[in-house]
This record gives sequence, structure tokens and C-alpha cells, in this order.
Amino acid sequence: MGAYFTAAVAGLAAGGAYALLGVCAVFTYRLVAVVNFVGAAIGAAGAFAFSMLVERGAPIGLAAVFGVAVGAVVGVGVGAVMTRWFAESPASTKAAVAVALLVGLAAIGLRVTGGQHPHEFPELLGGSAFRLAGVEVTNASLATLALAFLFTIASTLFLNRSYVGLQLRALAERPVAAELIGVPVQALSLWVWGVNGAATALALILIAPQRAPNFLTLSLLVVPALAAALIGVFRNFWATLAGGIAIGVMEGLASVIPHLGEFRAAVPFVVILAVLLWSQRGARWDEAR
Amino acid sequence: MRRDSLYSAARVVIVTLALGGVAIALLPGYWIYLATAVLIAAVSLMSLGVVEGRTGMISLCQLSFAGVGAWTVGYLNVAQAPGGLPVWILIGGLAAVPFGVAIGLPALRLRGINLAIVTLGFASAFDAILAATTFPGQTQFLQVPRPDVFDSDAGYFLFVLITFALIAGGLQLIAGSRLGASWLAIRHSERATAAHGVGIPSAKLSAFAMSAFVAGIAGGMLAGYLGTLVADNFTMFGSLSLFAVATMTGAESAEGAVIGGLLVTLFPEILRRLALPQDIGNVMFAVGAVQALSSGETASQALRRLFGKLWRHRAIEIAPLQPASLAPRRDHGEAAALTVRALTVRYGAVVALDNVDFDVPARTVIGLIGPNGAGKSTFIDAVTGFLPRYEGGVSLCGRALEGMDAHARARAGVRRTWQTNRIAPNLTVGAYLDLAAGGLTQRQLEAALAWIGCPDARVRVASVDAGARRLLDVAGVVAARPALVLLDEPAAGQSYDEALRLAKRIAEIPEIFGSAVLLVDHDMDLVRAACAAVTVLDFGKVIASGQTAKVLEMPLVKTAYLGVVDSEAA
Repeated sequence: MGAYFTAAVAGLAAGGAYALLGVCAVFTYRLVAVVNFVGAAIGAAGAFAFSMLVERGAPIGLAAVFGVAVGAVVGVGVGAVMTRWFAESPASTKAAVAVALLVGLAAIGLRVTGGQHPHEFPELLGGSAFRLAGVEVTNASLATLALAFLFTIASTLFLNRSYVGLQLRALAERPVAAELIGVPVQALSLWVWGVNGAATALALILIAPQRAPNFLTLSLLVVPALAAALIGVFRNFWATLAGGIAIGVMEGLASVIPHLGEFRAAVPFVVILAVLLWSQRGARWDEAR
Repeated sequence: MRRDSLYSAARVVIVTLALGGVAIALLPGYWIYLATAVLIAAVSLMSLGVVEGRTGMISLCQLSFAGVGAWTVGYLNVAQAPGGLPVWILIGGLAAVPFGVAIGLPALRLRGINLAIVTLGFASAFDAILAATTFPGQTQFLQVPRPDVFDSDAGYFLFVLITFALIAGGLQLIAGSRLGASWLAIRHSERATAAHGVGIPSAKLSAFAMSAFVAGIAGGMLAGYLGTLVADNFTMFGSLSLFAVATMTGAESAEGAVIGGLLVTLFPEILRRLALPQDIGNVMFAVGAVQALSSGETASQALRRLFGKLWRHRAIEIAPLQPASLAPRRDHGEAAALTVRALTVRYGAVVALDNVDFDVPARTVIGLIGPNGAGKSTFIDAVTGFLPRYEGGVSLCGRALEGMDAHARARAGVRRTWQTNRIAPNLTVGAYLDLAAGGLTQRQLEAALAWIGCPDARVRVASVDAGARRLLDVAGVVAARPALVLLDEPAAGQSYDEALRLAKRIAEIPEIFGSAVLLVDHDMDLVRAACAAVTVLDFGKVIASGQTAKVLEMPLVKTAYLGVVDSEAA
């Protein structure tokens, strides 16, 4: 029993990151109507910018700011492609574009970072915050969880309470109609992509030290992120947050179960299957006439 | 099976074998070895072409399916199973099918990106499983043996070539069949496809199953090609890259798949010889895919368009009608084709249809008219099963339709057209008619087109004008000869003369095809000319019903249409 609890607590660190990435995915979907397969790769670009700057002797804080900025810039770049050519495309086309961009970005990332060549990922927040059930709860995992909460609250408030949030919701549903009533569509979309890129970059900088820090593995964290977003049906930030944390905890639990531990990376897939089976009760037809 | 789809399948097989034969004769050994890899990659791409290119769904785990096929071949090799490589490869393909079905199932009734997410999840889970296990025979360095006749590099190329040709030809055959037409139609509109009596879940599932089978075959061939396999052959990133290539070149056609295979195989080879890093290839594929998505045209479609210009096009002709060639009329008995009792439909607080009673007697044309928003299309949706719920009873020839899905109702004999045209533009006119009516002979099919005045069966729908597409819509539903046909504004967008000609055709439907017709339209000349009786709806209620000429003269009806009280008539 104790071992399981320990494992669950250990899974919180990853869970926080999944939650944050998932909330970012919902954020992009609700604001610019893109299922963001390339989200984690954008963050990975920022995270590796951070690492490579630290390797060249820059102070950690400065490097982190630089990394987050790189994440924002790459996000804006991806957003420029999306808004320039695909603003009016159906969701499946945008998803296909996001997948293609993931392939391209990951290939560039692997090239620039030297593939499997190990990189030094210093802990942005080192040390342990406290012990829970005999496990060190690290500052980093606490920070990811806090960041995930913060981003969830901020997104909810921003979308539901602010004027810009209202404009963005209009933009996601009908970009042309929004433009016609005077919403600065292009600029707002690019802001969304930028903010999103910055947030993912920060999340990945925090958790990279606990992962095999290779550009591709970080980019493919999009799988648990999308699983979490599915739990929130790509709408509900709080359900996504809870879903992301739950996936992390489940992975932690799976890792201590004999014979199952090696397969813990399959947890998001199982979650996706379960959520889809559950959510198909209602859906029936494509758009009406 | 249509004769021209047999021809085009045979053409694919022959051209492939001929080109492959030339390659064996001309290419030096190393290039033959590379060409084998090109074809194996092309088979994987064709597997993606089935789901992505035809059905329009995103699948990101094709190499995982290939991995299942390869794993099976490795296992059968270790187990010394009888039959040798060709049989093992076939079993490997079949082994991938349950995976394809199991992954397709949860995404069946949901549209859009869900399949992309679930396949990506599967690819990552498969990565994890491969990382934790090894391929059978991998640790003992046990090679997968090739069949004796095909043992050399040239021999194995020939083996792969024949397999590729068979798969390409087979897929071409399916593309020409009703199943293939329903895949293309689903991509365009699921509702319209269901209205032809196609079960959407089973059609999609068959696409997944076919795709997984072909991918499994590709994996099995790779096992024979490489001898030993490692997890790196089947990574998730490989699947993603394959998706980018398929999006770029278009993998639903054999030539698109081969172009893609050439890119996948030769690009790294060229980069290697230029001493450039090989992963630049993926960046190129990504750029190419984005380009193809933004232009809406894949590389193979662009090639077809360019080559198509070289041939002279035949003028689109409308054949004269030979009435004897039409399919014989069907007898649906004397009971009323449609009986509707107390039909009520609510959208939230709005009552779209309020306690409507309605009959369409057998073999008659009845008009349903009313101003915009009167509930006419809602009525059709309710009868054909496209509404989630309604109150009241709908029966066809005395048989209640409640509890039946849209496609089941269509099969039972309720067929409809749509207010806006929903014919998939990539189908040919003939393939569309085959999808809609099914089981017609070539002569009957051509006669149905001639009857309504539609162009040649070989013309693609994309090059047919909007007016003729509406006629094609009507031709499709009546050629199926159901008990009841519901036509939703078939004359919208037609000129006055065309509308009158259409009216004559609609009036003939009961006599020629044996179906009763419910006609919804705003063109009163059309309604007058085609309908024996009309019913008028206003705000969801029946306000008048009876002989066409009488009903159209009623002041009440004029008021409903014009919104003013006609004081002179009173």
C-alpha cells in the first residue's frame, strides 16, 4: 500500500506537466480552433534554447527567460502559418497541418540539438519542498502543479470575463464573421500562439531534468497532453487539469506494478480509448444541411 | 463489378509489372535493392491512402500496424510455421486487422480529429511496448528466410513488385466498387452517404481494417527485406513522417504512393551522397505537406492535372433515352407509401412541427409547400431518420419506421435528396449513381442518366454544373426504385425551362420507377405541373391540403406565402 502511495506521489510531477500541456492544448483549441499536435514541440524548442544557453555559461535565470521567449517566438511562427494559410480551413485540415509542422519542427530540433546527444538540463528550481509519504516532493513538481493551476484559473477568467477573451471566442468559431465586426483576428491569433508557446516552454524547462532530455521525447509529450485535453472534451479547463494530473498519477502507479511498469507509457492511450468510448454516446451527425 | 473499374485495375497491375520489369533489366544491383525499399514504403503509403486519401481521416500509427505484421512474420519464422514467407506475410497482414478495427471503433461515431488522437496514442503505446520487448528471433539473430525463387536481391524485388501490383490493383478495384464510392462520399458528407443506405460505422470500419491489413503486409515484406528487425523500423516518428509524405504526394493512387516511396527512400540516399544530414528530408516532407494542404492538391493530383491537359477531352454529351433500357419498375403494393400521424418535432422551446398528419398514397406525386421556416425540411429529416427524436408515428407501406437509423430507413425504401447538393465531387457520375442505386447494369445506369438528362457516366462530378448535379441527385434516388422518394427543392437554381422539364420527369417517376414522391419546392409552376395534390405547412402546422389547383388558389395559402391579406380575393 505504502509503495503505491509513494508511486502516486512520484507521478504528480509528470501529472502537473501533462495538466499544463493539456490546458495549453485546450487553450489553443478554444481560441484558434486548432488541435495542437505541435504544442509540445514548440515548448521543446524553448526548453532546448534554455539548456544550450546554460551550457554556454549563461546564468540560469537569464537562460530561462530566453528559453521562454524562444518558445513564444516559435509559437508565433507556427501561428503565422496557421493564420496566414489555414484560418478558414476545416478542423481536420488544421490538425493535419499541425502534424506536418510537428514532423518538421522535430526534425529541425533533432538536427540543432544533435539527436540523442545528451544535454545538460539544470534544475530551474532545485531541491525538495517537503516529504510526503516518504517521497521527496520536489520544488520543480510543485512549481509545475502550481503553474498548471495558475494557467487554468487565468484561462477560465480570461475567456469568460474579459472583453479580449470574448473576441477570441468569436474568432475561434467564425474568423471571418469576427473580422467583419472589427476583431483584429490576425494579431489576436498570434498573441494566443505566442502566450501558448511561452507557457509550454516554461513547463518543459521545469520537467526536462526528470525526462530523457531529447528533443523528440519532449515533443511527443503531446500524447498525454491531448489525452488530458480529451478528458476535458477540449472545452473544460478544470477537467483537463484533473485529467492531466490523473494520467501522471496512473503512470506512477503503473510503474510499481510488476510486469506492467515497462508499459507505463501506454497509459495515455488507455485513457484516450476510455474517454472516446464514453463520449460517443451522444455524437451522431456532421453539420446540418 | 463495373467493367471499367476492372479495366483500370488491370491497367494498374500491368503498368506496374512492366515498369518493374524495365527496372530489373536496367538498374544495377544496389539500385534494385533500393527500389525494393521504395516499393515497400509505397505499400505503407497506400495503406495510409485508404484512410487519409479516400475517407479523409487522419491516421498516425501506420508503422505500428506494419510492426504488428512484421512481428507476426518473425514469430511464425521462429515457430517454423509451414508455408514460408508469402503465407506468413499474409497472416501478418490479417493479424494487423483486429488492431485497426479496435482502434477505429472508438472514433467511429465521432468525426474529425479523434481518430488522429487515438492513433497517435496507439503509436506511442506501441513504441513503449517495442522498447520493452524484442522482435521474435532478434536476440538469436535468426534471419527471416526469403522464398528460394526470390532469394536474390533482384528476386526479392520481383516478389515485392508482384505484391505491390496485386495490392494496387485490388485497391483500384475497391475504389471502383460501391464500397470505394461510399468512402469518398463519407469524406464529403456523412449524412448524404447514410441517406443512400450506407451504414457509416461499417464503411469506416472497413476502411480502417483494409488500411491495417495493407500496412501489416508492408511490415511483413520489410521483415523479409531486412532479415532481422529492430524497434527503430516502426517508431511513432516514422509514422508521423509517413503521414507527412502521404499528405504531400497523395497516397490514394498507386503513382502517388510510388512517388512518396521514392522520396522516403531516395532522399536520404541523395543527402548521404552529398554528405548532408539525412534528417533534412523530414523538414522537406513537412514543408511539402503544408504546401499540399494549403493548395488543396497533392503532388500526384497535380501530375494528373498536368498530364490530363495533354489528352483531348471528349465533349460532355447527353445520350438519347431508350426507355426499354431503364430498370424495370418495382411494385411496392397498394398501401400508402407514407403515413405520418401526429408528428411533432421540438427544437428546445420552438415547435418546428406541430401534430402533423400526412399521407402519400402509393405511386403518386404529392407536393409539400410552405414559406421558409414552415418545417418542410424538418419534416423530411424526421421521416428519413436524421433527427435525434420526434413524437408521433411514421410508417412506410404500413410498416413503422421508429427505431430505425437513417441508413436502415434508406434501405427499407425511404430515399431523399438535399436542399444543398452533397454529391462528393471526386466521384464520377456513374460511381455516384452506383452508390445511390446499387446493383444496376451498365445499360440501366446509362438509361437513368439519359432519362433525367445527365451527362456521361464517366464524367467526374466536379466538372458537372450545379444544375445538372441537382438532376443527378434526383436520378440517384429514383434509380434505386424505393417505395418513397423525398425531393427537397430539386428545382433550386434551375432555369424556368429546366424546371418545367424536371416537373415532367418528376410526374413520370411513379409510372417508370414505381415510387411515390413527396416534392418540396418553392417553384409553383413546378409544383403545379408535377403534383396531383399538395399540403401546405405554415409554422409547423398543416393549414391546407387537397387538389393542387384548388389549394394554390386558397386565400389562406396566398396569405401564408405573401404575408398579406388578399383583400380583393375575399
